[in-house]
Amino acid sequence: MKGKKEIIVSTVVVVGVLVTLFFYLTGTGEIEFNQIVLVGIALILVGLAMYVIWDKIRNVQKGLPGKDERTISMSHKAGYYGFIAAIWSAVFAPLFFDVSSGYELDGGDVSAIVVLVSAFVFIVSYLYLYWKGK
Amino acid sequence: MKTHIKELRARYDLTQEDLAKKIGVRRETILFIEKGNYNPSLKLAHDIAKALQTTIDDLFIFEDE
Repeated sequence: MKGKKEIIVSTVVVVGVLVTLFFYLTGTGEIEFNQIVLVGIALILVGLAMYVIWDKIRNVQKGLPGKDERTISMSHKAGYYGFIAAIWSAVFAPLFFDVSSGYELDGGDVSAIVVLVSAFVFIVSYLYLYWKGK
Repeated sequence: MKTHIKELRARYDLTQEDLAKKIGVRRETILFIEKGNYNPSLKLAHDIAKALQTTIDDLFIFEDE
């Protein structure tokens, strides 16, 4: 039951993100390159999250748990990597954009980059650990 | 770490999924433990040993690194 609740909540979050992206894209007049990159990363994250949810549904349908001690341990490790990535991206993203293109990021841009980078590192680490088995 | 899980599963005619259902873990967890890619907790090792009617010592082969 607990696994089912988690699947429903995750699905609602994914649908919410997709709806938000849809309204963001339709509401924005002219889309800039950096917005396309950010939306692209968000869509990749949504796709990977949908894969994880689908995998949980598959297990629950077979009568197996949606998560167990290995997946919990994987989440903890991936969360740690995501946290480290968030710190480093907060430090280096403004520096990188300033040095490479002379573009000064504002607070909103940095926040968006930190969230997307940490989420990307989290989900990629999670899937790597999932396939590697560690 | 190597294990005898595969041999014992075959003895009791259990698939990875059957064993996973008995213990309450995902099938992939059994797969990775069999392959030596995941070290289970003491509780999980105990549960697997119990499900296969053996002991932890007989189930897992601990090698010096």
